[in-house]
Amino acid sequence: MPRARIYGYLAVLVSLALGAVFFYYAGIEQVLPGAAVPVLSSNAYYAIAVPIGIVVLGVLGAGFWIGWTILTIKVAPPMPEIVEKNDYAKIKAFFLCLVTLGVAGLFVYGLVLKSYWAIAVPAAAVTLVLLGMVFWVGIAIITTRSTLPRVKGN
Amino acid sequence: MRVLFLCYRGNPFCGGQGIYLYNLTKELAKQGVEIDVLVGPPYPDPMEEWANVYRIDNLNLWSVRTRKIPYEKLVRLSSPGNFTEYAMTRFHMFPEMEAFSFRAFFALRKLLKERSYDLIHDVQCLGWGLLPMKGFGIPIVTTVHHPLTKDREADFMRNHTLWDFMTTIMFYPLNMQRFVINRLDRVITSSVEGVKELQNAFGLKPEKVSVVMNGIDIVGFQNSGGRRVDNELLFVGNTEDHKKGLRYLFEAMTMLPEKITLTIVDEGPPKRLSAFEMIQKYNIEHRVTFTGKVDMGTLVHLYSTKTLLVMSSLHEGFGLPAAEAMACGTPVVTTTAGALKEVVAHGECGLMVPPKDPVALKDAILEVLKDKKRQKDMGKKGRARAVDLFSWPVAAENTRKVYEDVIEKYRSTL
Repeated sequence: MPRARIYGYLAVLVSLALGAVFFYYAGIEQVLPGAAVPVLSSNAYYAIAVPIGIVVLGVLGAGFWIGWTILTIKVAPPMPEIVEKNDYAKIKAFFLCLVTLGVAGLFVYGLVLKSYWAIAVPAAAVTLVLLGMVFWVGIAIITTRSTLPRVKGN
Repeated sequence: MRVLFLCYRGNPFCGGQGIYLYNLTKELAKQGVEIDVLVGPPYPDPMEEWANVYRIDNLNLWSVRTRKIPYEKLVRLSSPGNFTEYAMTRFHMFPEMEAFSFRAFFALRKLLKERSYDLIHDVQCLGWGLLPMKGFGIPIVTTVHHPLTKDREADFMRNHTLWDFMTTIMFYPLNMQRFVINRLDRVITSSVEGVKELQNAFGLKPEKVSVVMNGIDIVGFQNSGGRRVDNELLFVGNTEDHKKGLRYLFEAMTMLPEKITLTIVDEGPPKRLSAFEMIQKYNIEHRVTFTGKVDMGTLVHLYSTKTLLVMSSLHEGFGLPAAEAMACGTPVVTTTAGALKEVVAHGECGLMVPPKDPVALKDAILEVLKDKKRQKDMGKKGRARAVDLFSWPVAAENTRKVYEDVIEKYRSTL
């Protein structure tokens, strides 16, 4: 089997295993009956919360910026055929701004309370998205026909 | 003087930067400038006669579904840089420029072990990777024909759902370009109008911008001697580009007499449908023909034999077809959008009308069509203007003067 295909299998297995471990220990174990949500010292909490907070506020900031850009677009009027298809994009953009601001406020409030979930939920989202991409690339490597020249020994 | 060019797409059929790279480096080399080139795919025609060309790889994964990515590219996603490029494309970002700039940075780091440069000339990449290059102590100049904000505005005109708008905003790396361009030593643009546009788009100070008119191949673009036919209009350009304002040209066509026809130099159906759909809507399909992609010889023949060139643009960073038509002695009718008013002399080599005004466009076309003597006179004046202002030797000489100025100022601050 070509070495790249072995890496493909490894990517799939490792992303699945890490995803399962993360999901269990960071999520399920914390909500099982009798589970005590971990209590971290202030320093330990903020050592984790600050980098996660930067990522979360960066993503939410980007969402707000996209909504704000749509709300404030000043360009030549759209093509007539587009005007007819009113999709209320500006109203949706307004809600996008509102939701991102609300979630950001909620996130900061969670950090002030030193909530475990305030850092666990975004950490899970980032981790699972990354592992999802690794998994998907692994699947693609496994199922795509090799176009590389065959090397003796592989 | 030795200059290193950076160009993320070198092919002459990719948005103009390939043509710019090829012709400008050739003329600069003739004027004694040593040229090295770091270039991304699609790669340019052979330039080894006058430049050292180093090819930079690019995965080009944008809009390719993961399951459709070729195997040889998939296996390369194990590198952190390539995986980051892949991840960005999954969020509808267009990472080609930043990926190229980082790869160019690492390639330059290797090159500098055996070569030295007086100046780096970036061709409208403006990627993050240009910033660490400043650490090498070489002044960096960039050429921007028009800011990407203009392309984004044209895309916005076609957007109507929230998803359309979101993906358009994610696609254009405007924040990166705004940050990077303000930290480079000089920006070259091809028109005075471009200076204002760069100021509006990126907050760029006018004193950081130098205007160097674009060049065209004055020898290649000259009248082929074919018989010029009456009442045949020519449009040259990308029909999918909404900045071209084709809708207004088609509206003008509906008001013009039936005998007047239009030839479009671009792909038509089934490959490109947006212009064709409008043509059907206006019921003028029997008067409009598409040539598909043509080689330079055919293009010159078309310029030389059609009655006049029409450009209905809403914006032009330069307006190359107008300059090419003028070089072939063909009168032009264009809008006053963007840099066109600097390319075309109104009343001398053509007529100009405000953008988005199909009635004015129709009137100007009729005015030129009715007077053959005036057409010939405009053609002659157009050729003379093109030779004086838009030849590559002139563009190269003016670019070299910018280099000398930048280098002198840079060294005086050390």
